Amino acid sequence: MIAFENLEVRYAATAAPALKGLTLSIERGIVGLLGPNGAGKSTLLKALLGLLTPSRGSGTVLGVSLGAPEAARLRARIGYMPEYDALIEDASAYEQVAFWGELSGLAPESARDRAHEVLYFVGLDESRYRPVSGYSTGMRQRVKLAQALVHSPELIFLDEPTNGLDPDGRRRMLDLVLRVHAELGTGVILASHLLGDVERVADQLVILDQGEIKAAGSMAGLRKALAKRVELRFLDPLDASQEAALSELGTVLEARNGLYDLELTEADPVGAFRWAETQGATLVQVTPRHDRLDEVLLRALHGDVVRGTGLRPTPPEPPRQEQAEPAPDLSSATGASAPQER
Amino acid sequence: MPIYAPTLPPAPDLHQGHPPVLVLMRFDFTRLWRQKIGRFFGFAFLMLLLWKVARIYIDHLLQTNQAFKPMQDFARTILTQGADFQADLLNPASYLLWFLVALVGGGLVARDTLYRVRPLMYAHPVAPKDYLLAKLGFASLLPFIILLPFAILPWLMSLLLAGLHGPVWATAPLRLLPAMAVSSVLMGSLAIGASSMAATPRAGIGWVLGLVLGAGTLASMIHGLTGIRAVDALNPIMLAEAWPQLFVGVEHPMVAWLPAILGTAFHIALWTYVAARRTRPSEAVI
Repeated sequence: MIAFENLEVRYAATAAPALKGLTLSIERGIVGLLGPNGAGKSTLLKALLGLLTPSRGSGTVLGVSLGAPEAARLRARIGYMPEYDALIEDASAYEQVAFWGELSGLAPESARDRAHEVLYFVGLDESRYRPVSGYSTGMRQRVKLAQALVHSPELIFLDEPTNGLDPDGRRRMLDLVLRVHAELGTGVILASHLLGDVERVADQLVILDQGEIKAAGSMAGLRKALAKRVELRFLDPLDASQEAALSELGTVLEARNGLYDLELTEADPVGAFRWAETQGATLVQVTPRHDRLDEVLLRALHGDVVRGTGLRPTPPEPPRQEQAEPAPDLSSATGASAPQER
Repeated sequence: MPIYAPTLPPAPDLHQGHPPVLVLMRFDFTRLWRQKIGRFFGFAFLMLLLWKVARIYIDHLLQTNQAFKPMQDFARTILTQGADFQADLLNPASYLLWFLVALVGGGLVARDTLYRVRPLMYAHPVAPKDYLLAKLGFASLLPFIILLPFAILPWLMSLLLAGLHGPVWATAPLRLLPAMAVSSVLMGSLAIGASSMAATPRAGIGWVLGLVLGAGTLASMIHGLTGIRAVDALNPIMLAEAWPQLFVGVEHPMVAWLPAILGTAFHIALWTYVAARRTRPSEAVI
């Protein structure tokens, strides 16, 4: 669906790069583009839309090269929901969705019919005839989603789609995102700094920070890996030999004050009790660590992820003079490959 | 609780619609229509048009009805029928037209900036040149359409009343239409250049008026200091009035041919360039 190699984007020739030599391959699905504010998510979307010309590197979106003459026509195959309001305040939802449909290439009558259909799909009923200046935040977000869908794109970019929504509105918006992919077969790139949103809908994850990809991989792999993560609490601190023997259970990720954070070799916490019995230790508590996704994100951002999560870390950026060399494909299982090593 | 559609049918075929330039211009027209500012200007320009047409009818009466014979010599002093009269057909209160261009054109680009919709336009199959062409086209078409009845109706009436020997030359539209086109593009380019520098439509109106009046004042000052008449070509108001005079061959036009060409080219190039720079995709915040 999307692939880019050594992609670098600068806002000015003398400015520091906003994207620093990114390499990634993304297959069709719902991809969560995760990162803090200023990580480069929107810049990446702009580059993929062809609004910014890469200063280095290459890439393809839906088989069309970035910067190619046909890139403008490519945008008819892409829907984009911007982070900011981007609504024509003095027009109704119906008028502006029809307008965006026409700009995408629909005939005027088709665009008007389509505007009704897509506004109904996102749950805007009679209010579609009112100027959007009177809309609630949730309604405004749904208008933005409708304009992204009006021309049945093959791929949509959603930039912070749940911004400003209450929990219920957020749930509805994410449900719509899931429906868009499941019912329409549309590929989705969802940029967000909210881990919960990405976790709920995405099947692939790309973590971006300071213009670099910190980690990329499948959510299924990540969830599977996290399911093996447990925290063990013993009655008495383990001695050195017992601590060394913990490796029989799995990989020790962290040890502190008698608490051991492990990625188990097998997803069977009961085995930990058997192990404790053979070692003469008293295991008093086994806590599954399903809530550690946020820690994964934080650790990815600090560059020390990603052990045991299924995500692939990004190598440090090489000196600019060095020539890039192809990297082995790490994406066979996940659909997302790590940036190449150079 | 919103009611959601069970599913969304596939969209009709793309690439069946109008070019983006036309879609953008049509949407701007719809916006303008919704603002209803046309009522005041429509009334004002209609009155001006009626006055022009009435003058031709009165002139016709004076020429043909013997009862008005005593008034004819007096009337000839106020009803000139030479080149000046032809050029004056396109002068429907020049300041009023500029004010309308400022009011409408000032918001054309600035409104998109305010609502942040330009990045979204560029995320569709709209190239920056499409956007620029649509805005320039709309801002230029507006004064052209307003001026059109002033060039056509008096000519038609003159033809109907007095044939080829009426007060309006039979060839007048051939001379006036190109002049209107040049003046309209001058107005349009200045309006979108100014509008592109503004963050809100109101600021856009201020920018247009400021640039038009400021350039005029500057030209007058330099003219006054140096005595060089050609500097008047920096004044967009004077340029817009000079083009009909030049095309119909007025003996003493406000600005001569060469300064008019240079001044108009300078304004169109400068303000179109400014608008192009200010509406680049890289200027877009998304």
